[in-house]
Amino acid sequence: MTLFLQLVVSGLGFGAVYALGAISLTLIFKTSNVVNFASASLSTTVALLMWLALNPLHLPVVLAWLIALACAMVIGVLVEAVFLRRVEKSPIIIQVVMTLGLLVAIEGLDGALFGYSPKTLPHVLHGSSFAIGSVLLDRNNALMLAITVLLAIALYLIYQHTRLGLALRAVASDRDTASLMGIQTQRYISLSWAVGVLVAGVSAILIAPAISLTPTFMENVAVFAFAAAVLGGFGSLLGAVVGGLVIGIMSNLVSGYFSNNLQLTFVFILILIVLYIRPNGLFGRPVVSRQ
Amino acid sequence: MAFKLSQLRKGRRGSQIGLVVGAFAFALAPAVVGANVTTMGILTQTIIYSLVVVSLNLLVGFGGLVSIGHAGFLAIGAYAAGYSANHLHLALPLELLMAGVLAGIVGLVMGLPSGRLSGNYLVIITLGFGLAVPQIALQATDITNGFTGLTIANTQIGPILMNSPKAMYYFCFVVVAISLVLILLVLASKSGRAIMAVRDSEAAAAAMGIHVARTKVILFTFSAFFCGIAGDLFGHFEGLVTAGDFTLSLSLFFLAAVIVGGLGSVGGSILGALVLVYVQTRSASIGVYSEFIIGGAVVVVLLTFPGGIASIPTVVARWLRSTRGTVRVPGEGESNPGDALTAQAGIGVGDHQGASDA
Repeated sequence: MTLFLQLVVSGLGFGAVYALGAISLTLIFKTSNVVNFASASLSTTVALLMWLALNPLHLPVVLAWLIALACAMVIGVLVEAVFLRRVEKSPIIIQVVMTLGLLVAIEGLDGALFGYSPKTLPHVLHGSSFAIGSVLLDRNNALMLAITVLLAIALYLIYQHTRLGLALRAVASDRDTASLMGIQTQRYISLSWAVGVLVAGVSAILIAPAISLTPTFMENVAVFAFAAAVLGGFGSLLGAVVGGLVIGIMSNLVSGYFSNNLQLTFVFILILIVLYIRPNGLFGRPVVSRQ
Repeated sequence: MAFKLSQLRKGRRGSQIGLVVGAFAFALAPAVVGANVTTMGILTQTIIYSLVVVSLNLLVGFGGLVSIGHAGFLAIGAYAAGYSANHLHLALPLELLMAGVLAGIVGLVMGLPSGRLSGNYLVIITLGFGLAVPQIALQATDITNGFTGLTIANTQIGPILMNSPKAMYYFCFVVVAISLVLILLVLASKSGRAIMAVRDSEAAAAAMGIHVARTKVILFTFSAFFCGIAGDLFGHFEGLVTAGDFTLSLSLFFLAAVIVGGLGSVGGSILGALVLVYVQTRSASIGVYSEFIIGGAVVVVLLTFPGGIASIPTVVARWLRSTRGTVRVPGEGESNPGDALTAQAGIGVGDHQGASDA
């Protein structure tokens, strides 16, 4: 029982990171209707910029964070404006392939600029784990969980209770009508890309100390984030958070009780089963569209 | 100018001739470029990749479904080849069939939800599949020999042992040529037209009595089947197969070859495979930039000529016509009224694109 509880608690930390990834995908998907398959390479770039600021440039940690996050927002806006906007009227598969092409290109660019040798980012917090009864909670895992929950609550409040959120929801539900109501839809799409890549970047920076930082290190993490977004139905922030935590806990249980090397297989089977039973995800609603 | 997939079937008069010329070129290539081990290796790899890229193009270009897990089907075919060569000792046609059917069955299981899902979800399923296959391969050590990798014995057709690069090349050439003919026959048949009808408009296809979900599932199975056959060839060609050969990058490179070669074009896919193998073999000199070049090529093609290399003749012909401002050929670009206007006004394609984007 202690092992089970321990696996659940330590799964929450990674689950929080998957949840951040899923929130990023959901934010972008809601307004621009594109699943950002380039997410892994974009967030890796943010983590590598953080490394650049910390190691060769020796900037203070707080400044490095600010620079990395500012770059993340600029990257998000640029990727949307330069690449995705120009194919937004093309069939969905062209948009999907565009993000996949960007994934390969940016990963390749990261590899060419930063090299493929693993790098390290420092942990945010130092010190021993907390003990809750017989279960240990790592400080950094607790921090990841806290950041994810706070961010999710903040985004939820912005979405539901501000004029900005109202505009974002209007763009999400019907772009043409939103634009007729005087909403500058393009601006909100840029904004959601900026925030989306920012959130993904935070997830990469938080998880990088636990695994080594290479140009491809977010690929596997991204699969868990996609799975979380699928569970969450790709439209609901709450769904993304719950999906991420569920995936984090379950994959930790799989690695604890079976094998560390079957996590991806488990996630694949889980996605397949969920989509068999509920083609729109656990929290998603069926979408009726006109062609 | 919004790109539509339904444009892909227009202006392809030369494609059959091109394929026949290409087949002769590949048949004569060893005699022309010399049958040394390096060139034969590059040519054999191009031929095997051609079948993979065509099988993927069946899904993406003809069916409008994206897969980024085709390296997984390649792995299934390669391990099937190894198991047969080392344990079952099946006759070669049977072995190829087994590789194809095994991959096809897995494709069927994965394709089953595709009838009801949006394209994005299918990409995520294939992503999970492509990453899960190497993990499973490392666990199933009885079949795959785990980390060490599986050594695959030379194949044999009757008394001929496939141990020379030239014999291997012609063996792959024959298998791929037969597969491509089969694929072309299916595409030209009623089923092929049904597949493209579903791609262009699911609602219209359903209204014509086409079972949309079933068509998608069958297409997925069909694509996996031929990718499995290519995997069988890949296994024999490589001789040693490890789980690390079948990465997400490889699947993405296949997709890049589809896009660069030309969506919905069999000949284009072969060209795409050729470009891919060329970039990969040159990676010693291009070094770290090869991945950036492949990804960048996809992005540039999508932004400038989404039909890929295969669409260049059409694009050039249209550009020549519009700059000369001569009489238009009926049936070209009629779906887009803007085209006729710009042609009359004598504006180039580039200008037209800018004008309608604004």
